[in-house]
Amino acid sequence: MAQPSRPVDSNASLAIAVDGLHLNFDGSTPVLSDVTLHIRNGEFVSLVGPSGCGKTTLLNLAAGLVPHTGKGSIQLAGASPLQGNPHVGYMLARDSLLPWKTALENAMFGMQVRGVPRAQAQERARGMLQEVGLAGFENMLPKALSHGMRQRVALARTFALGSPLLLMDEPFGALDAQTKLQLEDLLLRLCQQHQQSVLFVTHDLSEAVAVSDRVVVMTSRPGRILADVAIDLPRPRSIRELQKDAHFHELYAQLWGHLESGWSKHEG
Amino acid sequence: MKAEKLRWGGAHLLFIMVMLGLGEWLTTHGWLDPTFVGQPSGIIRFLWNNIATGKLWVDMGWTMAGTLISFTLGSVAAITVGLLFVGFPKLEKFFDPYLNAMNVMPRIALAPLFILWFGLGLGSKIAVGCSLTFFIVLSSTVAGIRGVSQDHLTLCKTLGASTFTTFFEVTLPGAVPVIFSGLRLGLIYALLGVIGAEIIASEKGLGQSLAYLGATFEVNGVMALLLVLALLGVSVVRAMTWLEKRLLHWQ
Repeated sequence: MAQPSRPVDSNASLAIAVDGLHLNFDGSTPVLSDVTLHIRNGEFVSLVGPSGCGKTTLLNLAAGLVPHTGKGSIQLAGASPLQGNPHVGYMLARDSLLPWKTALENAMFGMQVRGVPRAQAQERARGMLQEVGLAGFENMLPKALSHGMRQRVALARTFALGSPLLLMDEPFGALDAQTKLQLEDLLLRLCQQHQQSVLFVTHDLSEAVAVSDRVVVMTSRPGRILADVAIDLPRPRSIRELQKDAHFHELYAQLWGHLESGWSKHEG
Repeated sequence: MKAEKLRWGGAHLLFIMVMLGLGEWLTTHGWLDPTFVGQPSGIIRFLWNNIATGKLWVDMGWTMAGTLISFTLGSVAAITVGLLFVGFPKLEKFFDPYLNAMNVMPRIALAPLFILWFGLGLGSKIAVGCSLTFFIVLSSTVAGIRGVSQDHLTLCKTLGASTFTTFFEVTLPGAVPVIFSGLRLGLIYALLGVIGAEIIASEKGLGQSLAYLGATFEVNGVMALLLVLALLGVSVVRAMTWLEKRLLHWQ
């Protein structure tokens, strides 16, 4: 029986509010132009678009890694972006595990940096490793783990932080197709359980449709928002089942059309 | 695995025996002049006598003491300066031309000056060894720290890690493999510097004995000490490899 899309709290303040944002690094072509994007609490939004359209820049602005120097505003739960914001978890494209630490120590690392007492961090990290399917691998070093397993540890590290907002920069971009599908399923499950707001950058349209509540299509030079498509697929979702869902393919085609129109506008 | 090791060991032993036998045969039958190339039996006799009298151990002790002290001092100084350079890039920019000029200078050429300043004892040997070790370890320290994964640093930033945490939890452990390769090379160069300085002028040490034996045409002695130096070099490298495996087991 199909269930409605994951509920979002429309009354609470927005997880991310970007309004009329312009960004220009060196005074030449703007990187971002008039970007407006609102993400509600508990919502999963993906950013897709061609390389260089400013998806990662927008994510890094939200993370406070890139200073906001242009017009417009960007706010996270009503506050300006701040590097190291404890309410934000950030996941990179590569697993970025520390090779000298075990899977458990890596899963604990973020919490320890943020001042969680060691015993508590260890307990939560163990639980998260179990949740991502790595029970029994706690004492293994990253060199002994596969790419997929390493990315599972990175997911455990990110979700263990318990930050209400997650920023993810193509976290599965470097994985093979099969591992990627498994991890997308895992991500769907984790998001369902932890109810965090997510801003997810990806190149992969089917991945964006499968995991998101909304997919935002960006166009390049300058980076603008071309379309904002609601993904009204029921949750909980299964990546395998979605492959057989006609509506999934319709949404995919719709997004593909937006991307193509972005290219033709750019070429024209 | 053990049988394989034994087989290889046996093959090496056989090869060495054959080469020694061949050397002995060539020198006793007049194919090679032992005055210039020595004779295996003479080399073994020299080693035996020097081990028995204890002279070899005393010389080796002085050389190793000089090597280890210069390696330690040179490395500590280099790592400290390297950290300062990474922390204060302007400092590196200012000192870079001077350090480059000193680095390209053949350090052994400074040995006569160091002997003048620090005398014929251990001090001048340490100075030469230090001057060689310092630059090698310095460049590997700076390269190691600068080469730390940007992803790891970004992760620290997004987590709000302090400079202290980032340095001790991420930067330093990440730089250790490159620093270690510099340390390994630095130790070999420390030995080279100490031996070089001992050959130029010294009271004790393997280099001093080598210079004396060479000057008095004791070729068997020269060959024996060269063999000892080769074994010493191999042992030093092996020790560093062992330490590296222990410290960097995660690689």
